[in-house]
Amino acid sequence: MAEVRFEAASRIYPGSETPAVDELNLDIADGELLVLVGPSGSGKSTALRMLAGLEFIDKGSVYINDKDVTLSPPQDRDIAMVFQNYALYPQMTVASNMGFALKQAGVPKDERRKRVEEAARILDLEPYLDRKPKNLSGGQRQRVAMGRAIVRSPQVFLMDEPLSNLDAKLRVQTRTELADLQARLGVTTVYVTHDQVEAMTMGHRVAVLDHGKLQQVARPRDLYSKPMNRFVAGFIGSPAMNIIDVERHDGVLQLAGQPVPVEMSTADALASTDGSSFGLGVRPEHLALIGDGGSGIAGEVTVVEELGSEAFVHVATEHQGERLTLVVRDEGETSTQRGDNVQVGFNGPTHIFGPDGERVGS
Amino acid sequence: MSLYYSFTKWTVTPPTPRTWTGIGNYTDAFTNIFFRRAAVTSIVMTVTAVVLSVLLGTLIALLLDRKFFGQGFVRTLILTPFLIMPVVAGLVWKNQMFSAAFGVLNWVLNQVGIESIEFATKYPRWAIVGVLVWQWTPFMMLIILAGLQGQSSSVLEAAKVDGASPRATFFQITLPHLRPYIELGVLLGSIYLIQVFDHIFVMTGGGPQSTNIPLFVYQRSIGGGWRFGSASAFSIVVVVATIILATFGLRVLSGLLEGEEA
Ligand SMILES: Nc1ncnc2c1ncn2[C@@H]1O[C@H](COP(=O)(O)OP(=O)(O)OP(=O)(O)O)[C@@H](O)[C@H]1O
Ligand SMILES: [Mg+2]
Repeated sequence: MAEVRFEAASRIYPGSETPAVDELNLDIADGELLVLVGPSGSGKSTALRMLAGLEFIDKGSVYINDKDVTLSPPQDRDIAMVFQNYALYPQMTVASNMGFALKQAGVPKDERRKRVEEAARILDLEPYLDRKPKNLSGGQRQRVAMGRAIVRSPQVFLMDEPLSNLDAKLRVQTRTELADLQARLGVTTVYVTHDQVEAMTMGHRVAVLDHGKLQQVARPRDLYSKPMNRFVAGFIGSPAMNIIDVERHDGVLQLAGQPVPVEMSTADALASTDGSSFGLGVRPEHLALIGDGGSGIAGEVTVVEELGSEAFVHVATEHQGERLTLVVRDEGETSTQRGDNVQVGFNGPTHIFGPDGERVGS
Repeated sequence: MSLYYSFTKWTVTPPTPRTWTGIGNYTDAFTNIFFRRAAVTSIVMTVTAVVLSVLLGTLIALLLDRKFFGQGFVRTLILTPFLIMPVVAGLVWKNQMFSAAFGVLNWVLNQVGIESIEFATKYPRWAIVGVLVWQWTPFMMLIILAGLQGQSSSVLEAAKVDGASPRATFFQITLPHLRPYIELGVLLGSIYLIQVFDHIFVMTGGGPQSTNIPLFVYQRSIGGGWRFGSASAFSIVVVVATIILATFGLRVLSGLLEGEEA
């Protein structure tokens, strides 16, 4: 059982000017499943490897259970890691793979076998214990990698995109099993993914990284309802939030000539903010098509993405003299067609970002 | 052709008609003391030279398998012995390294107060093995280095996270991974080294300690013996023996490495 803490931890790769991870501050509670998410190259793997001891920490420190491990080698940190390519030992059987760490720790053979068998039972790997990794399917390999981590009963699990080599269906299934397993074992886990759906469904809390900087760390629902800046707003949610540069006229933000509804507190905050250019974010599910004759934003339908249970309609309109496409959620089996003239209205909260990209309010 | 000759008695000087002898030459091969001695020399030389060059090659490959300044240059430098023609290598070692009068080794020995030794005369077999190892280590190193660089870095990281010491990582993970590369090196090395001729020819010209089968076959035939029938038989025995030796050698090696895993 362990808590993990990053304190202004940075990693600057040799030969690079900008840090791959820039002054990361993060507190991870005992038993928590924290997901690190971000686009490719945002420094997720680097942050994880810093915690694993595989990457040198140039500045700041990392603690596991209040013990400073900044300079400790991986084997002294009592962590287990699942690699993206699984990194199984190719010449060893599944059982030896899973028992390897215990063997290194000098655990006697009987006890080793007992623990390996127990882990194999949890992961449905019993029939494969004598096989070599190359004779397993992708999903089975993934489970062996998991098994190698859980037999050790480590303080912390580290997982770097463990599901990215599985096909879409298996990925969804394994994601649930993994979250369930983590909850049962109660081991503190740091999970890296670039898939925001994985992050939202699995994470107790989600930390969003971009360009090595922590953008926001929050519960999935808070990340969804209160993104702290434009980057997080655009990154979380599928399909992505509509984010539009809007201008302030007579103290009111205008979208395609229509006033943008905001809460009282936000209006007050806006009043005390300088600048005329703001960011407006609104999720497709918070926009709606309203019947002709309504007083919405007029536009023409260019694309209809029908998913059965819902549909996403792309509406082209004109905003500040330029063409703008809004994505609007509509009911499934919609009658809307390409070429229809429609009106778009607000149907839920908006998100207002200041000129610096930071959240002002809803 | 050779196979046919091997069943005949055929001497060129004095010229005698070729006569069919059946397996006579073969039974002769196994009873002939000189042939047997040459066979022992061949085996001892090949085995020691292969084993030593694989060990040394592995060691150097492990040292070179990391980034350092002048990496490319050092690798090329280490490779040069392999590129030198066998005859030249033999001559260079004989005259410049081993020679009692001019050799570098003896100069070094003299410096520390040891008397000159005429290596090639006193220890002909080991002098030749030394040169062979010198020539073949780079080749083994190259093969094993390729193997090392083909190893996935995340596997090594996984071992680190799993708490394996560098020693345990080497013996339990890296060595099994290198096994096919080492096998290849041993196989190619054995096949070539059992046929070694030039080095021995220029360094000692043969002798009880250093005549191996190829040299013996040479002496029997165009080198003065002119007995082509039995020479052919001997060379065929060598081919068969090489195949058996190589197969057997690989078995043993595989068995050894298999044992490491348990
Ligand atoms: N060994 C390295 N040497 C130099 N730069 C590196 C090294 N590894 C990563 N980087 C750089 O550091 C940055 C962060 O890389 P990192 O691998 O942590 O990204 P990531 O978020 O895991 O991306 P992905 O989703 O593609 O795996 C990138 O700009 C990358 O180019
Ligand atoms: Mg990564």
